Amino acid sequence: MTAPAARPMPSLPRGLHFSATGRYWLLIMPALAMMVVFYLYPISRVLWMSVTEPQPGIDNFALLATSASIQRMLMTTARISIITTLITLVLAYVVSYVLVHSSERVQRWMFLGVLVPLWISVLVRAFAWFVLLRREGLINNTLISTGLIDTPLSLIWNETGVMIGMVHYMLPFGILPIYANMRDIDQRCIAAARGLGATRGVAFRKVFLPLSTPGVVGAGILVFIFSLGFFVTPAILGGGKTLMIAEYIKVQILEIVRWGVGTMLAATLLIVIGGLLAVLSRIVDLRKLFGAG
Amino acid sequence: MTKHNAISALSRRNLLKAGAGLITAPAVLGSASAFAQARKEVVLVNYGGAAMKAFDEAYVQPFAAQGGRIVLDGSGPLNGKILTMVQSRNVTWDICDGGITTLAELGPRNALEKIDYSIVDKTKVPAEFAYENGVVNYMFSSVLAWDTAKVKETPTLADFFDLKKYPGRRMMRKDSQAMLELCLLADGVPLDKLYPLDTRRAFAKLATIKKEVLYWNSGAESQSLMRDGECVMGLLWHTRANILKGETNNRIAFTFKDGLLQPGLWVVPKGNPAGAEAFRAIASMQQPEGQVKLLAAMGNGPSNPAAQALVPAAQRAMNPADPANAAVQAKINAAWYIENHSKTFQAYLDFISS
Repeated sequence: MTAPAARPMPSLPRGLHFSATGRYWLLIMPALAMMVVFYLYPISRVLWMSVTEPQPGIDNFALLATSASIQRMLMTTARISIITTLITLVLAYVVSYVLVHSSERVQRWMFLGVLVPLWISVLVRAFAWFVLLRREGLINNTLISTGLIDTPLSLIWNETGVMIGMVHYMLPFGILPIYANMRDIDQRCIAAARGLGATRGVAFRKVFLPLSTPGVVGAGILVFIFSLGFFVTPAILGGGKTLMIAEYIKVQILEIVRWGVGTMLAATLLIVIGGLLAVLSRIVDLRKLFGAG
Repeated sequence: MTKHNAISALSRRNLLKAGAGLITAPAVLGSASAFAQARKEVVLVNYGGAAMKAFDEAYVQPFAAQGGRIVLDGSGPLNGKILTMVQSRNVTWDICDGGITTLAELGPRNALEKIDYSIVDKTKVPAEFAYENGVVNYMFSSVLAWDTAKVKETPTLADFFDLKKYPGRRMMRKDSQAMLELCLLADGVPLDKLYPLDTRRAFAKLATIKKEVLYWNSGAESQSLMRDGECVMGLLWHTRANILKGETNNRIAFTFKDGLLQPGLWVVPKGNPAGAEAFRAIASMQQPEGQVKLLAAMGNGPSNPAAQALVPAAQRAMNPADPANAAVQAKINAAWYIENHSKTFQAYLDFISS
């Protein structure tokens, strides 16, 4: 039915004509239906379970206020995510700055360095860090043999190890948006500032930095949201002692089958991320950040 | 005309044949499916890996020789997955490789079939490990292992908690089950007086070494932490300790003394597709021969007491259910776990992550 309706055919009854927008709607209908069935429906089930399991009410959400265990876990998650995001942004900014200002040949190699880790499984990368960071690992052995330290550093099995692993994973997600933004900055603005007597530092601070802020904010949102849901790296590099929200949810759902608590935390995560995006959309143009418009 | 008649007669005869075929086909198919229903296929789920080949030789082939069919699925029967199947009334598993915590979480939620002890033979298992919703399939132990390069004499469980005598990192499982028991044994609680667990006392004991403990999630992780020398001592499954002992040429040693003997359980999800055939498969797996094969392949201790006599002398030392080894270990108490698993596990996670 859709094929004849898509082309104007005078012989058809009036009811089967579609306006221009109507036809576009028809084209996205399958995608929309898929979204509803495979995305909105399961999410609404999760939200529903968070207020109905094991009995109807907001008992599960009350745990956010009363359970010391959940509060501590949420604090750990927030602390690690915020620090990871900040470190990632600083490193990503430096890398992007160098990328934008280097020759095409150097850029190609640098991109390879940024992208290759992105294609390697997070599990493999966590174990690679384990080999490097452990007490008798490459880094500690090198430092000890050069005489810089005499007792091995605790680089792993704590939050330091978790953050090293997470920052490494997040760097491409920080670099790519910041680089995309910096690439679009008109270099003549900096040249103009310099021509008007600004020093290198002032030109950077007053012209380049403000112009690159949207990229930094976008990268920050992306990295922070990813960090909140991190599972593998904290579980492996944290020595079992760093409990973040994803692992906490997994334990509730799969092991002690307290689905109400698990879905409540998943819903909370969803609400927090939604809230963050809503607040940020008032400060910056989110659509522009993620490449649209 | 005659030719035309012949053709039409022929085609009519063919048509009749075809018609007859159509009528009889469902009857034939019906009887075939009725035959298949007599011996349904049993889907057995375990955690994969080396267990797939070992289970095939020990269990699948002997059952096939009796005319039954077991299909192995190595995707891991976690509690949450079993419950999802049962609650959505879309059960595709018949027998799951579970443990005491499966009983504790799924039994009260009415997600497990009662074991049909008219088919499964209770006399072929130790009485204390035959439960209403699950029956022992093999024995395993949580044991103390140590790195002989760093710990010269054989340590006791109390030494595990003695950082002065043996400095260095320790390793425990990220699960309260067995770990709290071993804390209490180290603190001087006798083997047969463990239950009900004094969890406060266990956590107090754990607190004395908390800073030096790493926690493993998967068996592979426990092996890697000991193999790479990250920990001087560790509490882990005897099966993994046994593999470590072999691959490190005895650098890693372990003892059953003051270990905790635990049953691996067969459980049957409620409304399983094969019905009672699942219990016939379980009964078949009670034969001692297969269980001894499993011990040789993976170190899983036979659950049938009659199998102990068939174990070759060389394998007795690694058999947790061997009478000599069982005598120096505590035995887990399912009733206590059914009451307390959820909150104890949660408390343990809170304790180690705080």
